[in-house]
Formats: sequence, structure tokens, C-alpha cells
Amino acid sequence: MIIGLQIIALIFAFSMIYFVVLHYKRGEIGKGEVAAWMVMWTVAIVIIIFPEILRRFASTFLVTRVFDLMTIGGFILVISMVTSAYIRTKKLEKKLEDLIRKEAMRDANYKNQITNNKQKHK
Amino acid sequence: MNIFIVVPFRNEKKHIVDVVKGLSKYKLPIVLVDDGSTDKSGLKIEGLRLKNLTLLTHKVNLGKGAAMKTGAEYAFANGAGAIIFMDGDNQHDPSDLPKFTKELEKGNVEAVFGARNFAGGVPLIRLLGNKFASFIIRVLFGIKVSDVLCGFKALTGKAYKKIKWESTGYGVETEMIARAGKTKLKFSEVTVRAIYHDKVKGVTILDAIGIMGEIVKWWFTI
Repeated sequence: MIIGLQIIALIFAFSMIYFVVLHYKRGEIGKGEVAAWMVMWTVAIVIIIFPEILRRFASTFLVTRVFDLMTIGGFILVISMVTSAYIRTKKLEKKLEDLIRKEAMRDANYKNQITNNKQKHK
Repeated sequence: MNIFIVVPFRNEKKHIVDVVKGLSKYKLPIVLVDDGSTDKSGLKIEGLRLKNLTLLTHKVNLGKGAAMKTGAEYAFANGAGAIIFMDGDNQHDPSDLPKFTKELEKGNVEAVFGARNFAGGVPLIRLLGNKFASFIIRVLFGIKVSDVLCGFKALTGKAYKKIKWESTGYGVETEMIARAGKTKLKFSEVTVRAIYHDKVKGVTILDAIGIMGEIVKWWFTI
């Protein structure tokens, strides 16, 4: 029998699938990303409905309770996602910095060229 | 040696013209970097029409470190042998410039670091923060500099290549000193005067906490 917590988790998982499809339709994420997120949330739904599946894994990793295994798995997932987001942000920051710097230098060189040309014509 | 002055600034409408006027007496090329000002400080500069003046404009605010790097890249790409950094808030006295040029012309050092005279006028919290940062830098990077947070400093092209920084914000001063320590940069120090016009601007306590975290990061990464 499905309990209240499972219902909340299922609503959350289905909402996330809806958002994945929505972002795909808006062209904000690619086919590969949609597939990856779909697989992840489908697996999550299966685990929510049949948590017994995890019991075998829990005993394999010497974890006593299924809940503990899910918590550990959740931590690993969150840490890896935060790390990946941090690296991407740093790369973007660097690209933005380089772009703004190049633009500033190009504009200054252009202005200097105009000033030099004016002085030559005088 | 061809020496350029590099001044990064942001929203310094009140002081930037005075800074430029003070510097123009020394007949050195001046590179001003407007780091995304929203108070139209850049327009005030353009109105000055000085011959040796170049204004570089960041369309988006990137931070002091990034602005200093833009100025340095521009200066060295346009024939500078060395650059002198000064703050754009009129905190530094241009009459201290000859001390830097004299040291650079001697050719014995790759960098000259300014050390503010803390005799009077410096807010106590800044003084304590500075002493603490100097101590930490000395312990972690093996370099003894009296004033690690002073923005008045000079670098030769060789030194710039050695200590090219990654910090985009206020951590730049500390990172430069940390890298100077790691690369065993030859440097000297000169005493400079500092005038505090604005107590709310510059490094805040939150910035200082961030810099402390960055020092630990540099200890592992540099």
C-alpha cells in the first residue's frame, strides 16, 4: 500500500518529468539531456513505488536500512551536481571575463586609431 | 623603461578627474579601466581629452582584479616595460610615483610594492585586518611584505607573467603577493601615503572573510 510520503514523492517526481518535458519543448535542453533526466526520474518513481528493490542493494553495501542508503545516494548525487555546476559557472565566468576584456581593448584601440588619423589629417 | 600607470575604478565620479589631473603632471601614459560604472564616471574622463590617456570600459562589472588585468594586458600589448597600479578613489598620492619609477629604473627588482604609512588616519579594523593578512601570507607563502592589501604597486612585464592572477575581485592584492612568494619574485618596498576619502567603499568585512578563504585555496592551488 502506498503511504502519504510516497504520494508526495511521486507528485514531486512527476512534476520534475513535466518540467523536463517543458524545458525540452522550449528548446532549452537537448534530446540527450531529456533522455538522461527521464531515465533518472523513472528509476526514482519505480523506487518510490517498490522501495523493497533497494533492500538487496542496501545489504550489499552493508547499510542496515533502505532509508540510510537513499540518504547516502542523495548526498552523493547532490555533491556531484553541485561540483559540476560550480565548474560550469567558473568556466562561464572566465569566458565572460575574456569577452568583456577583449571588447574593452578593441574599443580602446579603435578610438586610438580614430584619434591618430584625425591628428595625421591636421 | 616605458612605464604605464594603470588605474582601475568603478563609480568614482567624485574622485576620478582629480586622480587623472594629479597623474597627468608626470607625463607617463595613463590607462584607466572603468569596471562597469553606473554613475557615468567614464564620460567625465572622455571630457578631459588628454593625450596620453586611454580609457578601457568593461560593459559589465567584473571586479577590481579583472579590471587590473585588463589594464595590464593593454599596457604590455602597447609597449609598456612596466606598469604602476593605483586606486581610482584618490587614495594614493601621485607624488609617490617617482619612488616607484626610481626603483624600477634601477633594474634590480621585478616588482615594487607600496606600503601605506599607518601612522594616522587608517581605520583600526583595516589596520588589524592588514596585519593579520600579512602574517598569514608570511607563514603560508614565505614572503614578508609590510602591506599586502596596498593597491599602489609596480610590476615589470617579467613579473606580470610570473604572477598573473586569477582573482577577479578584491582578493587580487593578496593573490599577487602569494604568487610573488611562490615564484620568489625579486621585489622592493616603498612607503606611500594613503588618504581615506570614503569609509564605506573598498574591502568590507565580508570581502575580508572571502579573501581569507581564498588564501587557503591558493595555498593548495598555486
